[in-house]
Amino acid sequence: MDKYKVRNNVRKLRFHHDEMTQEQLADKVGVTRQTIIAIEGGKYAPSLELAFKIALVFGVPLQDVFSYELEGDEK
Amino acid sequence: MSYQEKNITVSLVSHLLIGVYYLSQLFEIQQAGGLVAARVFSLWAVVIVAIIVVNIVGNILTHILLSIIHAIKTRSEHVEKFVEDERDQLIGLKGDKVSHIAFSIGVLIAMLTFAFGQPPLVMFSLLILASIVAEIIGDLSQLYLYRKGF
Repeated sequence: MDKYKVRNNVRKLRFHHDEMTQEQLADKVGVTRQTIIAIEGGKYAPSLELAFKIALVFGVPLQDVFSYELEGDEK
Repeated sequence: MSYQEKNITVSLVSHLLIGVYYLSQLFEIQQAGGLVAARVFSLWAVVIVAIIVVNIVGNILTHILLSIIHAIKTRSEHVEKFVEDERDQLIGLKGDKVSHIAFSIGVLIAMLTFAFGQPPLVMFSLLILASIVAEIIGDLSQLYLYRKGF
């Protein structure tokens, strides 16, 4: 079976939101900065609730923040 | 290093110290003429109470110390929030799972010593040792997951 991975555009979205810092995003969604770092690095796939919270902060639909792609497929 | 990592490090160091104390005392009892029930029982009581107390007091002291260090570093009266989020909880659960597996293996080994003719005191001493070792392995696995990201 093909292996899929959760990818994200959090770094890009932070950049487009006045260079929002990881700390600011973490405070807004109620997690630690380490968790944001882990999400951005693709090491941790957040819960559905946290994923929605992050999308809400950026004011974009969930699929603009996270995508589920084949491992090895780079955009 | 995050607050959680510091907390786990404190727990790891205290478990290591308790483990070293337990082994040294056990060795001493053994050297003084074999395992004597009265001395071994009192040692178990001390070790079990120490693990519980150290876990509670260590947690509180780490929180207070880190708050003081944060206040000195930032020179502000703003209270640092030590949030425990979903990733911390998941890492905690994974650590507990590893710890339980390690303890189960320890219990099996202890039972095997009894099955192979060792006295019950040896089995129970190994059970206590297994619980300390399991805590240490659980702490190490949590630290590893924090360092790795998840």
